[in-house]
Amino acid sequence: MPFQYLPVMAQNSAPKPPRVLVTPTNPAWCPIKKPLSESRVALLSSAALRLAHQEPFIPREDFSYRRVPSDPSAGELIIDHHSGIGRVPKQDPEIVFPRTALASLQRRGVVGNLAPFHFSFMGGLRDHGKIENELAQAIANDLKQARVDLALLVPY
Amino acid sequence: MIGTAHDIMSKVTPPRAVFVDHPVGRTFGPPHDRVRNEAVLARALQELPKFTRPNEIRDPGFQWSIDGSRAWEDELLAEMRNEAKG
Repeated sequence: MPFQYLPVMAQNSAPKPPRVLVTPTNPAWCPIKKPLSESRVALLSSAALRLAHQEPFIPREDFSYRRVPSDPSAGELIIDHHSGIGRVPKQDPEIVFPRTALASLQRRGVVGNLAPFHFSFMGGLRDHGKIENELAQAIANDLKQARVDLALLVPY
Repeated sequence: MIGTAHDIMSKVTPPRAVFVDHPVGRTFGPPHDRVRNEAVLARALQELPKFTRPNEIRDPGFQWSIDGSRAWEDELLAEMRNEAKG
């Protein structure tokens, strides 16, 4: 049986009520039109991740996002997310944001090509309406503009 | 989505989800293990053409420990409890 996170999170948030989980208002199922080897791929991360010279995220209710270059040589990654589980991934953000692995798969022809940018935002935000109607819409527009076929979300 | 929290993924219904049975915050393996990072990503992506319906969670059988030990769960629990205290 997989590890159960929700009971631990509920205990951790006590005496405040546990975090409310919601499903999106609009279903997001899209057919896959191309094989992976012909697809343009972008990563999405809720780790509040950025390059050192980019503006830091502000804990905890920051609804902005960062475009992170998909080229692994573009610079060191920083995780701004406040979660205590960040001790390990902050040593090596690639374990939650596999930018180097994805670039390698692209070189090997497993993945067609990479979007110029990946995207990161703050996970754990509580205003679900604002996430769905503002943050997600803005990122979706960027993904569309970059002609991304596959957006790969890695929750933090 | 590629995620480690099966119980959360089953509640928030991402359109396609691949479950990685690793501790949260180590989705693609231990720090600085590029071979494993790439292996996990490649294996997860192989699931893509197998999805047939919305909100499916596919489990390719990832294991954190080679021997299948789940001792990591106690360590993670301690880490999460310390987080709450901090």
